[in-house]
Amino acid sequence: MAASCIAASELLHNIKLIPYHKASCVLIRRISTSKLKCSSQPVAEATSAPQQLVGVVGLEIHAQISSNTKLFSGSSVQFLAPPNSLVSFFDASLPGTLPVLNRRCVEAAVMTGLALNCTINKKSLFDRKHYFYADLPAGYQITQQRRPVAVDGVLTYSFLGGKKRNQVIRKNVHIKQIQLEQDSGKSLHDDVNNQTLIDLNRAGVGLMELVMEPDMSGGEEAAAAVRELQLILQALGTCQGNMSEGQLRVDANVSVHRAGEPLGVRTEVKNINSIRFLAKAIDFEIQRQTDVVQRGGTVKNETRAYDSKSGETVPMRDKEGLQDYRFMPEPNLPPLIVFEDNASLPAGIDACQAVVVQTIKEGLPELPGIKRDRLVQAYGILPEHSFTLVNEDGLMEYFEAVMRATKMEPRKVIGWVTNELVGLLKQQNTSVSHSPVTPAALAELLELQEAGHISSSVAKQVFQEMWRSPGKTGAEIIREQDLGLVSDAAKLHRVCQKVVDSHPDEVCAIRSGNKKVLNRLMGLVQKELKGRADPVLVREILQEKTS
Amino acid sequence: MATMSAFHTLRGVSLETIGSSCNLWRNNVYSLTTKSCRLRCLQSRILRPFSSRQHNPKVPEVPTWEPAPEEQLPPPTKIPVDLVDKLERLALVDFRTKQGLECLEKAIRFADQLHVVDTSGVEPMDSVLEDRALYLRDDTATEGDCAEELLKLAKNTVEEYFVAPPGNIPLPKREERTAMLRHSEF
Amino acid sequence: MLGLTLKEVSSAFREGRISPTELCRKCLNRIKKTRPLNAYITVTEELSLKQAQQSEARLRRGVPKGPLDGIPFAVKDNFCTANIRTTCASKMLEGYTPPYNATVVQKLLDQGAVLMGKTNMDEFAMGSGSTDGTFGPVRNPWSYAASYRTQAGAAPDSDWVITGGSSGGSAAAVASLTSYLALGSDTGGSTRNPGALCGVVALKPTYGLVSRHGLIPLVNSMDVPGIITRSVNDAAIVLGVLQGIDVKDSTTVPAPSALVELPEDFDVRNLRVGIPKEYHAPGLSEETVAQWSRVADLFERAGARVEQVSLPHTQYSIVCYHILCCAEVASNMARFDGLEYGHRSEMESSTEVMYASTRHEGFNDVVRGRILSGNYFLLRHNYQQYFLKAQKVRRLIADDFGRVFGSGVDVLLTPTTLTDAVRYYDFTQEDNRTRSTQEDIFTQPANMAGLPAVSVPTALSRRGLPIGLQLIGPALEDKKLLCVARWMEQRVGFPSISDWDGSQESRNDAGVTREQTSAV
Repeated sequence: MAASCIAASELLHNIKLIPYHKASCVLIRRISTSKLKCSSQPVAEATSAPQQLVGVVGLEIHAQISSNTKLFSGSSVQFLAPPNSLVSFFDASLPGTLPVLNRRCVEAAVMTGLALNCTINKKSLFDRKHYFYADLPAGYQITQQRRPVAVDGVLTYSFLGGKKRNQVIRKNVHIKQIQLEQDSGKSLHDDVNNQTLIDLNRAGVGLMELVMEPDMSGGEEAAAAVRELQLILQALGTCQGNMSEGQLRVDANVSVHRAGEPLGVRTEVKNINSIRFLAKAIDFEIQRQTDVVQRGGTVKNETRAYDSKSGETVPMRDKEGLQDYRFMPEPNLPPLIVFEDNASLPAGIDACQAVVVQTIKEGLPELPGIKRDRLVQAYGILPEHSFTLVNEDGLMEYFEAVMRATKMEPRKVIGWVTNELVGLLKQQNTSVSHSPVTPAALAELLELQEAGHISSSVAKQVFQEMWRSPGKTGAEIIREQDLGLVSDAAKLHRVCQKVVDSHPDEVCAIRSGNKKVLNRLMGLVQKELKGRADPVLVREILQEKTS
Repeated sequence: MATMSAFHTLRGVSLETIGSSCNLWRNNVYSLTTKSCRLRCLQSRILRPFSSRQHNPKVPEVPTWEPAPEEQLPPPTKIPVDLVDKLERLALVDFRTKQGLECLEKAIRFADQLHVVDTSGVEPMDSVLEDRALYLRDDTATEGDCAEELLKLAKNTVEEYFVAPPGNIPLPKREERTAMLRHSEF
Repeated sequence: MLGLTLKEVSSAFREGRISPTELCRKCLNRIKKTRPLNAYITVTEELSLKQAQQSEARLRRGVPKGPLDGIPFAVKDNFCTANIRTTCASKMLEGYTPPYNATVVQKLLDQGAVLMGKTNMDEFAMGSGSTDGTFGPVRNPWSYAASYRTQAGAAPDSDWVITGGSSGGSAAAVASLTSYLALGSDTGGSTRNPGALCGVVALKPTYGLVSRHGLIPLVNSMDVPGIITRSVNDAAIVLGVLQGIDVKDSTTVPAPSALVELPEDFDVRNLRVGIPKEYHAPGLSEETVAQWSRVADLFERAGARVEQVSLPHTQYSIVCYHILCCAEVASNMARFDGLEYGHRSEMESSTEVMYASTRHEGFNDVVRGRILSGNYFLLRHNYQQYFLKAQKVRRLIADDFGRVFGSGVDVLLTPTTLTDAVRYYDFTQEDNRTRSTQEDIFTQPANMAGLPAVSVPTALSRRGLPIGLQLIGPALEDKKLLCVARWMEQRVGFPSISDWDGSQESRNDAGVTREQTSAV
């Protein structure tokens, strides 16, 4: 979870821009608006060279379904377990065993499809895709090639762009389809003994394959789209979306072309283990292909792997010419039927046995995009803050809890949540739910600051102290360490007088017009009072004394 | 009644008397060529004395169809060498001999007979259960946890893993493969 | 004793005339005696005696599990039997011992039936003669019956005839009285074909009525476990035990009703019997036509309405079957790579090489040929022209039946095989594929359409070998089909093999009369 937050902020701040940044940015925006009119119309309004090569990116995403058991068998799904301990007879492809579909996986696919505005196919079919590989025991994978469970959707994603990275740019990418299919086992290469060790624990786990149309133009967009998808899947609970654990796998289809011309030859880029690498790999590939084309060469239709160490894509063994998956309908699985609503259930079918689209639709949680918009609307916070709140699991709830406990303005609270709290969470590698400082405690602290009992720097200090001593309220700490703002006029006068008396040169300077020197005196007063002086009062008194 | 008793006699009677004429047609009647007319005539000459009952008119007395004539079929398929290689790689099964290739070509030729059937407007049929809905099971763990049982079935295992040779290595060329496989004959 | 029906054996048990252990021993002896038939791949002697003893104990306590308690049965070697070698008559699975029982096997065991062994077959059920398995061909028991042997020049060792296939071992086991019932599999006629040639009752239930979990598949969309017995009533009893939904098999359908006893006197008046004219195919023997006609007469004289009907796409059925079968075979055989189970080649230079040589060593030519054909038909380039086309023709064939049954025909009467059993020597003159396409011609349309069909032995041919006829019914009307089959069985007067068998044992039993009314 910590990692994904880093990824998000890195995404927003650290993306390496492709060299044609300015030009392509303009082109990108122009293309995305004119796309609706006519995609083949040449874009004449580009301000730079009109024949600039642009990237075209489509994505193939495999999301591991979050379920107790596998897609077609009743063996458990767990991330870590002794090798081959989560394998049933069917998973090991013992002859005579047959697939039995897991209802939960169907519900997950329908839920995901609905969240992505897809059309849910009432009837969908299963097929076999044949190829030989050591981690595919049956010699074929059961998938949905002809008629998948959901088609024709849209993923709306946003990211922060513009010069200051504070402009919310909204984009759409079309989802061609979502299909259910089996995951394969794992092969571990043992180079010492020149053999491969096969673990089938993962073989047969349910996957949703999402195909995103080539509507994206570069690494940044693709990364943002995947990030949004991750959030959606996590909100739905259909996939935990952890790329490093292999729960979400992304392959990119990349090509380059000149605006208005037909699409170029595409390559498939695999072996991408994080969102950051996704952006890098795509941008590298676009650049590589651009170089090839500009040199007068042709891009080869091939599969390439991303090497995170070198930051480059390298060709993988190419089986394209020889490969023919010989798709065939899966004869052991009659058609998968999902029902529109309870009324359309045929007699004899129990409502809890069947998958009913209406019921699932009604149970959909609030999606990230809606959440962000609502936060901005309801609280008037900046869009970039809404991103942070939604990106971090539980942070939005925390913020809203603080807001409920105080009458302060949201914009005064938000910084504390997105900076102070998040900063400490990261440092201690803790999740929001395990924060030692509760929303109520933070609210109380902020109110103390607002009321003038402590300065802002002290408040931060107190916050850190509260973190270290969970259970102690801010008020208690302030009392114990005597951190409260000193407002005793007499004491303030005494200290100010002392400072004034010991710094005649400065006083002279102020008297002769250099007002800035007052700040120095203020600093000295604060030092004397250990930073607990009410700055407003101190300034007044000093001004009086030096006038 | 008369017909039935004749039949019963047939059951119990030794067949030596018809032995010689039997030999004439016994060996030939099983070949399925269209030249079986001649044989059928032979049969009927021998058999008529034995069938002392009227033939039921609802049952056709002669075959009612013939295999589709060659002329109506598309041209015969010849498999080019690169397709042979491709099939062997995709199926990981070899043709072994020239006969194997001929066998495939005959199989294709036989399949070509479907060409004469008019299927315009007909939907393909995946299975006879196409109108039934797929049963969906509950998401509760009921299987697995039998690593020992499974590993016992495999010839090569290491600790709790199945063992495969190194993968992702292209198959050798066809000539090499044939030589190699000949080596592994039982 | 060995020639009795299930009901008769059950009452013999109850009346103490024989015990399950004694019966089991008798069958085991008979198996030993009939070893030249090569019907069994594995005989489970110890296990069967143990099961028989358990059955006996239950009988003594007065709590038999049902009509099958203590009854010896055999299972074709493509059904998984836990801890008992299951080979599919192939080198690929020669040493394979499954860790689970097929659902149908489990159901029989749960009823107290006694497993005698696994029967021989064509390798992976590909074939129509039970001649192409790695353990050698199966001999038809009728090769040794006096009715066949009395032919001049019929020397058993060179003139023995095939059982038909691919469930030849099961049919031979039942026909030679070594077990009372046997499980076969029926994809294109693999149970009915040997049933007819061995003179036993062979039932292929409606597709989906009996679970395929544990049946090593040939063509998933057509395979059905088949039931082989010596009487139709026995087959009904077994179907009653086996039918029904199995959650482990998503292609099972609910049984329409519990199967109760078949009526003693089924009324065939106004029963509509259809004679599909296309079933007089080239090569159909004159004798079989005569039987066909004879039985049609039987029905008519009893008041049934016999009419000629048409199933116009019949002649293409076998071509359609050939394509779909090869394609599914190519797919189903992809799992045999030596990695998780079964034979594994010693060649280890790469995974691909190991797979290729394992499959080269483990599969016979027939299997490999079908795999290659199937892969050819499934290639992207060919899919439309062959596979999809065959699927469309499949619908036409199913519609043909639909139309005929929809017009009110209750049952179809057809031949089961082209001729009586052929000599092994003659049969092997043609290659497996050609033979299969010839022999399956009457049986596989029912698989194509998923309909129930049963072969009933009707008479002996001039060569002294069985001829059977087939009845086909509408989907899920297995019970009615069996009623009609029983009616037919009661009237055709097919002899028991023990009438012809020269062995001492069955002569002693000849005194026991079979449950059979004389022909009308």
